[in-house]
Amino acid sequence: MSALDATFTALADPTRRAIVARLALGDATVNELAEPFDMSLPAVSKHLKVLERSGLISRSRHAQYRPCHLEREALDVAADWIAENRRIWAERFDKLDRHLRDIQRASGPDEEDEHR
Amino acid sequence: MTDHSPDELTFTRVFDAPRELVFRCMIEPEHLTHFWGPAGVSAPLEKISVDARPGGVFENVMVNDADGSEYRLRVIYDEVAPPERLAWTDPATGMTTTSTFTDLGGGRTEVRIHQARVPAPMRSPEAQAGFATSLDRFAAYLARLASNEGGTT
Repeated sequence: MSALDATFTALADPTRRAIVARLALGDATVNELAEPFDMSLPAVSKHLKVLERSGLISRSRHAQYRPCHLEREALDVAADWIAENRRIWAERFDKLDRHLRDIQRASGPDEEDEHR
Repeated sequence: MTDHSPDELTFTRVFDAPRELVFRCMIEPEHLTHFWGPAGVSAPLEKISVDARPGGVFENVMVNDADGSEYRLRVIYDEVAPPERLAWTDPATGMTTTSTFTDLGGGRTEVRIHQARVPAPMRSPEAQAGFATSLDRFAAYLARLASNEGGTT
């Protein structure tokens, strides 16, 4: 599984997305993260492990409460992928739009004219 | 909030062309070569092959006009239902792409591309529902959070 796959798999779960959104506002402990969810601490810990393995979050090793920290770079990679994908389809559709105009016009007496 | 719609990465565009024609553009190499590559990237006709039936392969090479670098795409059709729907899976990533063509009347057609990146381990219905909760909007939301940092809601 590529790093990006791991990121998307991690983000595929609504609870994990909520955790990431919370961490975007600042570091938080497991207890703080568990609060808004109707979920046991072990269940939340499991989600945190998935997020940690994907590189989306990190946890301090020494602090007593091991606060979770959002790794923005990993998130940016995922966001970039989404943006890139969107850009490709947008540009493809721009070209398709032009192509459709061209061929529909060409069904008249026109010869094909290249303009670039 | 009803957040569980199956429309994750979606791209919609309306074209001034009849649905049959737009659909054909998506499966005929002579048409694909004109638009398949994004800006600055071409898709040479001789490198596009289409076997438009379920299980058939759609293969193409996109060439960067600036440096000649090539990107090969090879996907397998899951559904070919002219002129309404076309779906394929990229076996390399597991990502599925479904194109839906809607006749808007008056010679206009809406094309909706829906992409779901569903790695094999998460093909359970619950996982799919989870995936479907708006990755798109989530990315936008985070971008907004990042730009508002410091401010409270």
